[in-house]
Formats: sequence, C-alpha cells, structure tokens
Amino acid sequence: MLKKSSVWLVVLISIMSIAFIATGCAKKQVVKEEAAAKPVVEAKKEEPKPTPAAPAPRVEAAPPAPTPRVEAAPPAPTPPAPAPRVEAAPPAPTPRVEAAPPAPTPEPIDLVSLRIQFAFDDYSLSTKSKENLEKLAAWMSKNSREKIQIEGHTCDIGTNEYNLALGERRANSAKKYLEALGVGSARVSTISYGEERPLVPNKEEAERSKNRRDEFVKTR
Amino acid sequence: MKKSWFIFLFALLLVGVSAEFLRAKVYIDIRSPSFRKFPIAITPFKSPLTPNEDMKLGERVTDILSNDLSISGFFALIDPKSFGESIVKPPPGVSPLPAEQRPAGTLPDFGEFRSWANIGAEALVMGEIAYKDRSLTMEARLYDVVQRELIIGKRYIGEITDLSRMAHRFADEIVFALTGEQGFFQTKIVFVSKATGNKEIYVMDFDGRNVNQITRHQSICLSPRFSPDGTKVAFTSYKSGNPDIYIKNLPNGEERPISQYPGLNISPAWSPDSQRLALTLSKDGNPEIYIVNQDGSGLLRLTDNPAIDVSPAWSPDGKKIAFVSNRQGNPQIYIMDADGKNVQRLTFEGNYNTHPAWSPRGDRIAFDSAIGGGRNICTIHRDGSDFRILTANLGRCEMPSWSPDGRNLVFSSNRDGGPHIFLIDAEGTRIKKLTFQRGGDIYPNWSPRFKEK
Repeated sequence: MLKKSSVWLVVLISIMSIAFIATGCAKKQVVKEEAAAKPVVEAKKEEPKPTPAAPAPRVEAAPPAPTPRVEAAPPAPTPPAPAPRVEAAPPAPTPRVEAAPPAPTPEPIDLVSLRIQFAFDDYSLSTKSKENLEKLAAWMSKNSREKIQIEGHTCDIGTNEYNLALGERRANSAKKYLEALGVGSARVSTISYGEERPLVPNKEEAERSKNRRDEFVKTR
Repeated sequence: MKKSWFIFLFALLLVGVSAEFLRAKVYIDIRSPSFRKFPIAITPFKSPLTPNEDMKLGERVTDILSNDLSISGFFALIDPKSFGESIVKPPPGVSPLPAEQRPAGTLPDFGEFRSWANIGAEALVMGEIAYKDRSLTMEARLYDVVQRELIIGKRYIGEITDLSRMAHRFADEIVFALTGEQGFFQTKIVFVSKATGNKEIYVMDFDGRNVNQITRHQSICLSPRFSPDGTKVAFTSYKSGNPDIYIKNLPNGEERPISQYPGLNISPAWSPDSQRLALTLSKDGNPEIYIVNQDGSGLLRLTDNPAIDVSPAWSPDGKKIAFVSNRQGNPQIYIMDADGKNVQRLTFEGNYNTHPAWSPRGDRIAFDSAIGGGRNICTIHRDGSDFRILTANLGRCEMPSWSPDGRNLVFSSNRDGGPHIFLIDAEGTRIKKLTFQRGGDIYPNWSPRFKEK
C-alpha cells in the first residue's frame, strides 16, 4: 500500500509539474532544484575544461609571456631592419681599383638631400622630385657599382595597409623614373614602410608633409 | 523494487523534458523593437576560504561578470549601492562551500526575493569562490526574481588562473539562458602593440584582460587576423627585411612564412573555411589582391588594375570579397566575387574610406572613413544603403573589427593619446576603452568563438 501511494504521489507531482512548466510557476523549483543539482554534476565533468579544453588559454600559455617587455628590450638595441643598410654605405671605395680616369671615382653623394616629397594620397613626381632623381641617376651612371634601395613612406593619415600600398607606389614611381633615365633595374630595389617610419612626429600638416617621401639608401 | 525504479526513471525523464522547456523560455527578446534592458543585480561573490585577502577573488569575478553583462547591451545593472545590507546577506540556505553539505540548488526564501524585486531586479546573480589545495572552485547561480526560481546553477573547478575564464563562462551562460543567443565573453582580441618599442602581436581577452605577447620579432608586425577556426593568426612582419606574411599556430606557437614575394606581402584575410587567404602583393608591379592556400601554394591573382588594390575582407559565406581601391581617384570600398569578377563600388560618401570588415551576419560592412572630420568608424549595408557613422569626436578611429555576434566592434583610437583599443556597439551608443599599454595599440581583430571540446 505504501508503495502504491508513493507511486501515485510521484505521478501526481510529475503531472503537476508538466502543467506548471507551460505557465511557469513556483512548482518549477522542484524541477529546477534537480536541474540545479545536475549542473553541479555536469560541472564536475567540466572540471578538466578550464585547463585543457579551451584552445585559447593554452595558446597564451604556450608563448610564455611572463616578462615580455623586459626581455624584449635588451636584445634590440635599435630598429633592426633598415639600420644595417645605412651602414652598408662605406664599402663603396672599391671602384678605385679599375678606373683609368682617376678623379671620377666613388663620388660622395648626399642621399638625404635627394629625398623626394609627395602630396597627400599621391605618388606622382613633382618637377623638383624629378630634378633630384636626375641627379641621382647621373651619380649612379658615374658610379656604376652603386646600388640603392628606395624607401616609400607616408604620413599617418589613413590606414596602415593602404599606406603600405601607397608607400610602395611612391617607391615605384621613383624607380620607374630612374629606369627611364637609364639606371638598370637590378641596381634599384624598393621597400615600403607606409607610415611606420616617420621622419618627424606627425603632429601638424607641416610635419605630415615631410613624412610623405621617398628616401634613398645605398645597398650592396 | 523494479516498479519504483521505473517510476524514478520516469520522473527523471520529466525533469529532462522540463529542463528543455526552461531552456526555451526567452526572458529578453533582444530582437523585439520594444526591447528594453533587463534589470539584473549581481551580488558580490563571496570568497570566504581565500587564503590571501589580496587576491580578492570574489571581487574580480563580480567585476568581470558585471563588465561582460554591461558590454552585452542586454542588461541594466542595478547599482550595488542600492542593495542595502540585509539584501547582501546570503539568503538563508545559501551556505558557503562545500555544497555537498547542503540541499542541492538551495533557494533563497521568498522574503529575500521580495527585497530584490523592490529594488527593481528581475534577475539575480549570486555565488561563491573557494580556493583550497591549489584548486579553485566557483559556484554561481542565476535566479529569476519574479518567478522566484533558480534559472542556472553551475560549479566550475580549475586552477587559480582559470578564474576569469570561469567568470566569462558563466556570463555566457547567463546571456544564453536569458536571451537564447550565444554570448562572446570567452573570445579574444589579437592586436599590435608597441609596448616594447617594436610593433609586436599580442592576444588578450575580449574585455582587455590577460594581455599576452605572442611575437618577438623586434621588427614591425602588422595586420594580425584570427583564422575563423580560432587556431591561427596570420600577420605581416618585416622580420626578414621585407614585409612578408606569416602564420602563427596558436596551440603550439609554431610560426612559418607563407608569402615572401619581392615587394609587399600584406593584409592577409582568412577565407571563412580557414583554408585560404586573400592578401595584397606588389610582385607584379603594383599592389593587387591575390588568393593563396594557407600553406602558401596555389597563388591566384584576383585584381588587375593600375591603381592600388589592398585590404581584402571576405563575406562570411565566402562568395564575395570587399577591398580598398583608389581606381577612381581616392580610396573607396569595392566588392567583387571571390574569383575577382563583378567588381562594384560600395562607398560613395567621403573621399577616403579604408579597412573594410564584413559583419559575421553578412549584412553590413564596417570601415574607417574621413567623413565627419578626422577619421571615423562607419558601417554600410552590403548593397550600399543605410550608411551610418558610429563614432564622432573620438579622435582618429581606425581599423574596425566585428564581434562574433555582429553586435559590437573594436577599433583603435587616439582620443587620449595612445592609440588604444576601444569597443563600441554597432549602433554607436556605448563605447569602452580596452587597452591601456604604453606605446600604442592598433589593429585589433576579434577572434571567433572558440569551440568547446
């Protein structure tokens, strides 16, 4: 008897809970207590998750980041990439060897003074820029062992990616002009830094216009 | 005996079914035009067993939960100052851990609920933290104050470093239980920072916590982008002297170059299936858009135009690619088929629109624009209609990236120096600063939701 009544009780409760589910009433608590109890169990299953499961935390764990800034500082004395190229300049003196015409040897040249400027979002060459490139071409034809790299730069207006493309176009404009003046294309390489290496901080328009430029650097 | 077991099983079944019903109940209809923010109270999590008071574990969880729910935009968080002393007291029956010693899912009594209802709360979050034997346990519960019932109860067990993850996870549970939509609180943001003096790639939680440096190139790293499967980051680096594209495998930290042609190798963009990348190369004389397999093979040129073509972004269905071109004089956003055909101009407002990002829902494209003075984050429908400016007077705002649910964006802004990374909702109403590092943080890119295993 006891058993039977308890059976009925359970069935009754079950039916009632179904009825209340639809309306959302206090009886749900009974159900939810179970649901609440369950998650605890579930959560135990989840236990391992916080550590192994999600790929993300692992990720961060992998590239050990504990003391990033400190580490990074010492080994990097200066900006890495471009600097070496500047140093590469001295080796020029070699041409001396062959030249029968004695004087016109490795003529020094102030590449900084030949730097060319551009208008905003533009890569066409001004008259002044062309003059500078003509001087450069003349020097290169006289010093036939010299090679240069043209660095294209932009101001900081606009997005980096577009500016990288713009810097590339600026470098290419100069390269094409040099080629038209007879400089072999193998002697001129290009690289774009976009807005990454401003000459001066991009504060006002005056500074920005200085940053829209091509620079010339001797390479081997 | 058999009979009673049968009945027990039957009852269990009912519980299961009703749990399904409960799941289906949506408390907040976030798509409804009459949507109003759902008032929720988050009580301070207790951490009675914390060995070291300095850790303030409970406080940290409460902070993270509050921040997550407030960023979601679905909730009105009730000011803890209005809680009052009696309210903050744990409801009778809610004992600290261990929970085994109290009835499962113990509920506060009705009187407690009434006091929460009195201050306007419709839902209530409570919980405890325990830290013992190097094991961190977080118990958290979400109550329906109106119906006076438990909606979810969870216990998470892990290490102390898992604390913020547990909190984000429970925040996701709350959002799912109340709105039926997936949250994004366990996602990450990859970005570029100059904190070391060089531009390196970093990953952080979506809320700006747990910043980790993942490259040490001591060069210039740019344009990091999460693969849609969340396992890799593609980016540009000048490490070898030229801007080349690398892929970093996040689980094992391995890194390999995939595009090292002469000239530019920039702006990598993953296809939705994570198998291919659209990118910009200048090897053929001027910046054009190409597609390449993620191992670097199968290079395919898409654009052929004497102007600049750069910054591709795939539509989520993989059928279209948005990109930037100055073919008509100044940079504008264009859309083409993924095979390079049918190029159409998308933006006509303003004379400098760059950095397109396609919404995960597929309907809108975000970009940065010179419209409105300075630079601003804008969005436009993919058919070119419904142009919106999200930012105004926030400094130079650039490089938008969408949240996985398409309801928020991150971008970089120099509004207070920096630049730093900010989060804004897609309507442009709520803005939040995420990074505070020195040196400048740019190029944020929001991860997908990571798959739980």
